[in-house]
Amino acid sequence: MRISKSIYLFFLPGLVLYSLFFLYPTISALFYSFTDWDGLSAAFQFVGIDNYTRAFTGDSIFQKTIGNNLKFMLTVVVFQTLVALAFALIVIKNTKTNVFLRALYFFPTILSSVSVAFIWAFIYDPSMGILNQILGLLGLDFLAQNWLGNANIAIYSLAITQVWFHAGQMLIIFVAGLQAIPEELYEVAKIEGASKWQTFKGVTWPLLAPSATIVVAYTTIQSFKAFDLVFAMTGGGPNNSTEIIATYIYDVAFKSYQFGYASAISIIFMVIIALITYLQFKALRSDRVSY
Amino acid sequence: MKNRLWLATGTVGIGLMLGACAGESGGDSSSESGDATQISFMHWRGEDKDVLDEIIADFEEANPDIRVEQNIYPSDQYQATAQRMLQEGSTGDVFTSFPGAQFESIQSAGFFEDLSGEDFVSNFDESLIAVGQKDGTQYALPYQLVFNMPVYNKGMFDELGLEVPKSWTEFQEMADTLLENDITPIAFPGADIGPNQFMNSMMMNNAPDEDVFAKLQNGEESLTNEWWVKTLEDFKLLADKGYIQDDALGTNQDSAMAMVANEEAAMLATGSYHMNSLLDLNPDLELDLLAPITVEESEATYEGINTATFMLAVNSNSDKKDQAKAFIDYLSQPEVASKYANETGQHLTVNGVEYESEALQNTSYWIDERNTRFQPRFLITNAQIEDAVLSSIENVLGGEDPMAAAEAAQQIVEENRE
Repeated sequence: MRISKSIYLFFLPGLVLYSLFFLYPTISALFYSFTDWDGLSAAFQFVGIDNYTRAFTGDSIFQKTIGNNLKFMLTVVVFQTLVALAFALIVIKNTKTNVFLRALYFFPTILSSVSVAFIWAFIYDPSMGILNQILGLLGLDFLAQNWLGNANIAIYSLAITQVWFHAGQMLIIFVAGLQAIPEELYEVAKIEGASKWQTFKGVTWPLLAPSATIVVAYTTIQSFKAFDLVFAMTGGGPNNSTEIIATYIYDVAFKSYQFGYASAISIIFMVIIALITYLQFKALRSDRVSY
Repeated sequence: MKNRLWLATGTVGIGLMLGACAGESGGDSSSESGDATQISFMHWRGEDKDVLDEIIADFEEANPDIRVEQNIYPSDQYQATAQRMLQEGSTGDVFTSFPGAQFESIQSAGFFEDLSGEDFVSNFDESLIAVGQKDGTQYALPYQLVFNMPVYNKGMFDELGLEVPKSWTEFQEMADTLLENDITPIAFPGADIGPNQFMNSMMMNNAPDEDVFAKLQNGEESLTNEWWVKTLEDFKLLADKGYIQDDALGTNQDSAMAMVANEEAAMLATGSYHMNSLLDLNPDLELDLLAPITVEESEATYEGINTATFMLAVNSNSDKKDQAKAFIDYLSQPEVASKYANETGQHLTVNGVEYESEALQNTSYWIDERNTRFQPRFLITNAQIEDAVLSSIENVLGGEDPMAAAEAAQQIVEENRE
């Protein structure tokens, strides 16, 4: 079949937008990552791989942000996936109550991150916050914490907020995935006398793998990019314990005016996300089956 | 088929063009409007918008060929984005700058117009505008004079028979008395501005050398030296003895202000700029300023901290510099400055300002009669070194040993020396 050359014009708008808003900034960042540009002056000098060397050997805060990001990501990926899956299994049938519950669980997702940050900063407030007050009412005062002020737990407190914020979104993906599993397979499992756990392990989970892949990959990327929540709730403190790579890039670029170095960290950041996402896809793809 | 293709492509093209046009007009806030020239006044004081609107209305009446539009951004955002907007030149014909790191970066980028020869410079107190100079050139004129040291409940002190402590020993005795009366001595907003404000008065006498942070940045000084380790030890003592509230690192400034307004705490570890807000929350409070003297009386050099800030400047990229200068000239007239001072509850650097409010009058003695020192934090010109210094305070308040916290911070200082 002969394809008209004019069909290539259909690619043009997308290609222009992609080049303008992704390719050009990415190539620019790569270029500036080898310079000492301050982001303001016209002049800059090439510094070779100095910015990359500095990131890995001479910047303890950057190294700390990688650790913080991994803690944040692991907590969010594990809890968000489990919570979303558990709730999806509960509300899978299309009853009126379940449709309402799905909408209710999805509701936090439509809030702005700044609103979520304010709500949760209030919940976590050590003296006036409702979390510690509820723990007190339940006789669990010993569990009351300085949720955002304690450097050992602040990053996990932020992760819980992130889970609350986005679990509803993932729940919808899981519900769609669960509803796409053919009912006949469950009937066969039932006839074969499979237990609920065996049915989940042998039928539900393998056929849900594509949805799980999307959820885990999207959650990972989302948790690496959780700039707004961290910025609004803790600003990276106390003592850089909640500083993640995204907020650190912002600080380096816009507070210290080291755009060259910030570009280098951004490139490293992009590579880390790409690598983790690739590994996740590879691992989860091996779980996939088709009947 | 071809017609449809061109229609689709054309629609996308027109859409892109319209989007680009919309972006342009939205971004340009400085333009010729009718016969008058419109200038942009870019700053971070949202709470002053109403009084500045009134001042601008008066200015426009006196100068019918100039219109002034305020472009206000929250202070955090302002510190991060002002330079980018100044570079483009369409926003911030008149703008304000923080002293310290922001002043340095704007100056090195060349966005300050030289104001040295302008007549209105003499309207300002000469001793308070040096912070807006670099190599003998006056680039910016600080407008506000802030005292970054604790605000205290003077009425409460009088009731309990407490006097303002003149030494670290007396400070601790005073704090013990407050604790005995179930009052938290210091409300410390550790979740936001507490460390960056309170560090100034806590270190002012431990390191009386005003060049100490310049020396830290060039390698002559270290955070592991006596002056900073002692400051961190003093912070630790405040936490260990309960002189600041529990969970201080999780307390924001609103919660800390509420503690003082409700008289649960005696001092607010922020600065004079919160006196008006405290009086709004509790008009019965009688307030004054009190900086902790962390050495013995005989060794004390300074009594408090001042910051000349909200530095007025003209954007060198602006093509309306004359109009911008006319606006600064107007703001520096004593009667205009008096209106601004009294309605915002701020002391100013302008000569001849008459303070009418009781709170301003009662604390005016800090301008002339007390030996205050320019805010040391603003003398740290490298933002990452500033973060390291502040993190060491948070680290100690989180339970770390002062020397270990100082060592960790010093490592970051060494990584970021230029």
